Amino acid sequence: MKLQGFDIPDDLFYTKEHEWARRQGPAIRVGITDYAAKTLNDVVYVTLPKVNEKVLQFKTMGTVESIKAVSELYSPVSGTIVRVNSGLESHPELVNKSPYDDGWILEVKAPDFDSEQGGLLGAKAYSSHLEALLKSQ
Amino acid sequence: MLKTTQLHAYHSEHAKMTEFAGYDMPLWYTTTKEEHITVRNGSGIFDVSHMGRLEVSGERSTEFLEGLLPTQVSQQTIGKAFYTLLLDDGAGIIDDLIVMRTGESRYMVVVNAANAQKDIAHMTEHMPGSGVEMNDITASSVMIAVQGPDSANSLQPLVDVDLKGLKRFRCSEADAMGNHALISRTGYTGEDGFEIVILGPTNDDPARGLEVWEKLSETSRPCGLGARDSLRLEAGFPLHGSDIDQDTNPFQADLSWVISSGKTGYVGSGRIAELKPLIPGSVRKGLVVDRGIPRHGFEVKDDSGRAGVVTSGTYSPIIEKGIALCRIDVRDSNAGTKVTVDIRDEAQKALVVKTPFYDEKLYGWRRLSKGN
Repeated sequence: MKLQGFDIPDDLFYTKEHEWARRQGPAIRVGITDYAAKTLNDVVYVTLPKVNEKVLQFKTMGTVESIKAVSELYSPVSGTIVRVNSGLESHPELVNKSPYDDGWILEVKAPDFDSEQGGLLGAKAYSSHLEALLKSQ
Repeated sequence: MLKTTQLHAYHSEHAKMTEFAGYDMPLWYTTTKEEHITVRNGSGIFDVSHMGRLEVSGERSTEFLEGLLPTQVSQQTIGKAFYTLLLDDGAGIIDDLIVMRTGESRYMVVVNAANAQKDIAHMTEHMPGSGVEMNDITASSVMIAVQGPDSANSLQPLVDVDLKGLKRFRCSEADAMGNHALISRTGYTGEDGFEIVILGPTNDDPARGLEVWEKLSETSRPCGLGARDSLRLEAGFPLHGSDIDQDTNPFQADLSWVISSGKTGYVGSGRIAELKPLIPGSVRKGLVVDRGIPRHGFEVKDDSGRAGVVTSGTYSPIIEKGIALCRIDVRDSNAGTKVTVDIRDEAQKALVVKTPFYDEKLYGWRRLSKGN
């Protein structure tokens, strides 16, 4: 679905902090939403954790930076990082160009995803959350 | 309630807006990076109407400014624009500003938006009882910066003065699309460029300023405050309130070149004379970081534990690295000195460099004065 020009794919799980999560083979792939990418405006640097590092749901896992600002990344799931998108090192703008595909950030082996899903939003709920946020601005 | 400039209607339709110094201003129109690169390679326009504009006139106006500024004002001929500082008694920098001498006893003083009220109070306090008039024309005028190697081509068709003949740091009155205007070859990007004050329109009729802006936008890309900040940082220009402030003196600010040698009798001159023979503890310098982006407040260290602090930092779209202005121990201030910057708990390698950060053979106004 789309809200005021922001893409919100139906099949993803979302955090209120504008990260998304999706099953990708045995792991969970994580990125930031179209709204987050557009609000950052021009991503010029992504600080990623390393493979095998642990992340916790809703805890910091890295940063995304535009020319002007730094934004914390919060992990939508708990687990162990199995892959990071190393393409972002030389092409951080992929986060803007393709937030849900080439601009993915990392993949986590998340054994508790089934139960942690309950703490995430579906596309509809995220859309309502975003709508309320945009209204308040 | 935020203040707005006369061009606000255009911005709110086309730009992502942000609050700055009490004004609702454009942050970016497309992306900061695109706008930044356009100014280095082509031409960009910025609404800088939020900057304070004070008209100083009267038979004692030169004497008045002479008593306030470390620059020898009487030596500035009519048609000169100059960068200078407003100092307090302790030589702390109240503000940095551009002064244009528009007549024998007439000046246009352009100050930072965030400091305008403070500056007016300071100037009023030192004003003689008669012979000087000061008018704040900020709200009743528009100011547009046209910046970049193609800026003259973009602006020329709108104005009746020959821009080729207007040298850097010179100003001239002009007609701009039927408006009375003041044009100076100045800017805050490091590039060749102009700043045009449109004196004609009033707040009741923003249409005339808008007409000039929209005409310029046909040949120059509208740019927001995001690009204004990254461009000035890449050029090595300090921002008052971040890199310099009232706790900084001109020697620490690396701005002592502003002080006319031998000048006495202005506010702060006593303290300047005391400071001059001393070595400042810390100075303002540029840093290029290997990885990551330095930001305001990040710590700078050398091997011996001496420390400094990043006063403003960003990503440079031209050199494609994190860059910063910092306040650093004078012993670490030579270009080529290796230091580290703490970026989120990791010490990143950084190099002390001369500014501007870009290669002046390829970018900035100097390249134009050489080749073409």
